[in-house]
Amino acid sequence: MARIRYDVLHETRYLYAQPVSLSRQLLHLTPRETPRQSTVAHRIDIEPAPAERAGRDDYFGNRIEQFAVSAAHDELTVIAHSTVDVVRQDLLDTPSSPAWEHVRDRLRQVGPAPLLEPGQYLYASPHVEPLRALARYARLDFHRDRPLFESAQALMRRIHRDFEFDPEATTVSTPLETLLKERRGVCQDFAHFMIGCLRSLGLPARYVSGYLLTRPPPGKPRLVGADASHAWVSMFCPGAGWVDFDPTNCVRPDDQHITVGWGRDFGDVTPMRGVILGGGEHTVEVSVTVTPEGESAAQPLETE
Amino acid sequence: MPRQLLDHYPQTSSRYDELLAGPMALRPHWRSVFDTLARSRPEQMAERLASVHRQIRENGVTYNVYADPQGVERPWELDVLPLIIPPDEWQQISTAIAQRAELLNRILLDVYGPQHMLEEGLLPPALIYGHAGFLRPCHGMAVPGNMHLHLYAADLARAPDGRWWVLADRTQAPSGAGYSLENRLVISRVFAEQFRDLRVEHLASFFATLRDTLIQNAPQGDGPPLIVLLTPGPYNETYFEHAYLARYLGFPLVEGSDLMVRDGRVWLKNLSGLRRVHVILRRLDDDFCDPLELRADSALGVPGLVDAARQGNVLIANALGSNLLESGALLGFLPRLCERLLGEPLAMPSLATWWCGEEAALEDAIDKLDNLVIKPAFPQLRIDSVFGQDLDRKSRAALIARMRARPHHYVAQELVPLSQAPVWDTQHPRRLAARAVGLRVFACASPDGYVVMPGGLTRVASERAARVIAMQRGGSSKDTWVMTHGAVNTFSLLRRSITPSELVRSGSKLSSRVVENLFWFGRYCERCDNVARLLRATISQHIEHGDIAEHALIRLCQRFRLLPEELDDVPTGDIETALRAATTDPALAQSLAANLQQLSAVSFNLRERLSIDNWRIISHLADGPGDAPAELGEVLESLDECVQAMMTLSGFALDGMTRDQGWRFLSVGRRIERLQFMSSVLQHALDEGGETPEWLLDLADSTITYRSRYMTRPQWLPVLDLLVADESNPRSVAYQALGLADYLARLAAQFGAIESAPLSDAVADLLSLRAERDFRPGATALTETLDSLHSAAYALSEQLGLRFFSHADTQWPTSPQV
Repeated sequence: MARIRYDVLHETRYLYAQPVSLSRQLLHLTPRETPRQSTVAHRIDIEPAPAERAGRDDYFGNRIEQFAVSAAHDELTVIAHSTVDVVRQDLLDTPSSPAWEHVRDRLRQVGPAPLLEPGQYLYASPHVEPLRALARYARLDFHRDRPLFESAQALMRRIHRDFEFDPEATTVSTPLETLLKERRGVCQDFAHFMIGCLRSLGLPARYVSGYLLTRPPPGKPRLVGADASHAWVSMFCPGAGWVDFDPTNCVRPDDQHITVGWGRDFGDVTPMRGVILGGGEHTVEVSVTVTPEGESAAQPLETE
Repeated sequence: MPRQLLDHYPQTSSRYDELLAGPMALRPHWRSVFDTLARSRPEQMAERLASVHRQIRENGVTYNVYADPQGVERPWELDVLPLIIPPDEWQQISTAIAQRAELLNRILLDVYGPQHMLEEGLLPPALIYGHAGFLRPCHGMAVPGNMHLHLYAADLARAPDGRWWVLADRTQAPSGAGYSLENRLVISRVFAEQFRDLRVEHLASFFATLRDTLIQNAPQGDGPPLIVLLTPGPYNETYFEHAYLARYLGFPLVEGSDLMVRDGRVWLKNLSGLRRVHVILRRLDDDFCDPLELRADSALGVPGLVDAARQGNVLIANALGSNLLESGALLGFLPRLCERLLGEPLAMPSLATWWCGEEAALEDAIDKLDNLVIKPAFPQLRIDSVFGQDLDRKSRAALIARMRARPHHYVAQELVPLSQAPVWDTQHPRRLAARAVGLRVFACASPDGYVVMPGGLTRVASERAARVIAMQRGGSSKDTWVMTHGAVNTFSLLRRSITPSELVRSGSKLSSRVVENLFWFGRYCERCDNVARLLRATISQHIEHGDIAEHALIRLCQRFRLLPEELDDVPTGDIETALRAATTDPALAQSLAANLQQLSAVSFNLRERLSIDNWRIISHLADGPGDAPAELGEVLESLDECVQAMMTLSGFALDGMTRDQGWRFLSVGRRIERLQFMSSVLQHALDEGGETPEWLLDLADSTITYRSRYMTRPQWLPVLDLLVADESNPRSVAYQALGLADYLARLAAQFGAIESAPLSDAVADLLSLRAERDFRPGATALTETLDSLHSAAYALSEQLGLRFFSHADTQWPTSPQV
């Protein structure tokens, strides 16, 4: 199996108009270990040096780094360096899967594990309200008895077609209702939207936070969202497990996507979240660079 | 005679009646109270009602109503008659509630731990994973003593067959226990003999158990355990209760901004620095408790609190996340969970309730809407309960549309006719009326299982709304008397014996916020006193001498912006109107009424620290003289009263408060205010020149001293000596300035140097004044000194604010967009 090693540099810099006397932050910046992804090296540098710092796993199994800076500062920089191995998986074009209603009905009688785990991702969460209107939108692709993967793939394609990438159109708190009306936004919005569609049909879907390869392999288009954290969707199907979809780029994520963590929505895996004392107005700069290490073993990316 | 009482009381009803077993057939446990009512003369009953009313008002018992245009506070409503529950019946309730508390605690342990109940299919995942109150950051956290639920309440209703049912569980931060206590204090005084004769159980040992359990489970280290009561603040609907319980239990009342997390532990910010907090009894909703890990938009929480609890460094009661079980959707699953977790049947049934998130339940609820109440599925949703049968076609269709759009937001609950109990009809003396009642009962954790408070908060529906009981909607309440066969436990929390090691000398638990309020309390007390004296002197002058438009006192009032600038040539009548307004019109910024309101607001923030006597005086004053008095003579009387009240408050502070840092700040506030007032008044008198005015001594409350010393008309030299230089006169400028210097030295000794150069310079000027040279109008040294004292007082107030009070810096949540 082909294995690609990436270097990831994720830099966040806050500039404050007035000194901050105390800053507490939670970081979701450590790539997760998954069956097809392993971390070779990882380090987070924080400036100024925190007075307290600790790491732990969160409810969803993601790695959290938490810290507090108690010396007055007007600038805060957090740099995460990661070296990650990603294994290319065999993506079937349209994997065989049961009719989507069958999956929905099986999950209704959630009982013992492993079905309990996907049950975490079936319901409303702070950023994703599974509105009826979303079900109506999704039903155009989820015909009667249509296989789950095929339906989800069709939904992803339609979202990609219907929605326009527009960084100015939304904020973190734009509700799905507005999104449905305006049909503009960023990767986070498209992921939330697709998750909302799936959950409104009774299908478990989670939010994946991660990165994209910054420069595509020769001859391939550059993917949208490569210069910052990226977000996509994962859907559960009994038997096959979790399968990823990237509605922003209309692809099934493979070896150009690096997973940091997952949760019900953005709120569960915000890369950096915190509370500060003082500070006044602030500006923030975020940059992400992902480069393949060593020989350019990049395989062609499956595109739709 | 008894007949008369029951003339208008329904003799038959489809409801259960707490008083009557049948027409004119009293239930035996009501006999004693009923006979008392029947025997009482009308004056006696009137006196009882008045006493209830008076105690509620004087104790400042209120309930805040969010949407009330009348202002946020409303006096607590309490019926004079208790609800009486006989021993055997109580035994059943008590056993059932203790069992239920145990069961709910076990469910929380499971849900926030291994989740076996979900795996076994005894709890539908939808109700946990789909519940906004399931706080994922709190999963897997060990709770001290395996206790999630320290204080629990259940809302009960009695069905027509006499059985009690549970309508709702309160697992987050149940309110009402404090109101129950307050109701008890009031009613047991009004019916003291009946209370004793019926052997009504006392409440105090319940609260002692709560406190002891908290202490027992508190994390160790950094001194004896400090328990604080965390409130969202004075605007919360039950703030009175927070303050009341804090005082009763002896816990500091704190807001989120009083606390901080450092090194994984929680600290109370106070004047002398940080003090470790071991236990937080919270009245703040759990998702608001920590903006870092829970709701990022909460301004009321403590960043890092979840992690401090995770590390086992603070006990939070109830544990964060316990809100989960307030969802009515869980009620239907309790019987099987009880069998599974406790191995016994659930003792008290819950009203049938369905979660509309299940499609079948949604359709069923819509079909049977007429016989159901539709309620929010999670307490986080601000949705009002709706009775299906009340809806016309249009609103019915609207509700159904809302339910279909967001089915997971709703539960449907069966209707039960509430029982009715007698209330005293305040409109018609000597009549009992029947009102629907519900009972909120309380349980707290103890090492030997849950203990149920023998009593509770009986809530009374308003006349029209016989089905809903909500204090928000204008309901009333009752004391709840639980009778016992045995001896009454007369333990009182107020008489607990203290061991020598528990002796506390200093008020080191004072938070910066409290100190700031004490400072302003001191300033406003003094300011009200000054303004009242000035107005009194001016009005007396006016009454005695008629036309005083040209008088120095009028100009002094103008200097203090009590009277408008252009008053010199106005007719006498207008001056009277203006003087009345300066006294009673709260819309005028500097008026006495406005200052009294400020005083009342500051006291409001300090309510848990002021004795009831203080509070009585302040609430009496803030109520004002009622209708604005027409006669200046009446205005004068109210000013006399105000001055007396201020003397009394000052006496309380002098005689009733320990000399801790809080007292010191109160006194500093007072002296700063008095120094500013006296220096302005003296300056004014000197500017006016001429004969030494009598009013100067009067404003400084020094007339008697002067007369006893000099037995002559006021003359500048002795008057100025008395009011400026005499260090033994508590009204003199020197007394204030030297006192302030002394307080500052004491504060500096504890907290490090305080910038006070302007004050020490002014004091030096003051001490170098010489009577023969400077104590006369036109003496430059004197006016300059008064000037610099005035500005030094101002600068000092600013300085203290910056140094000690402005800790409540704003906290901002931050999170960059992807």
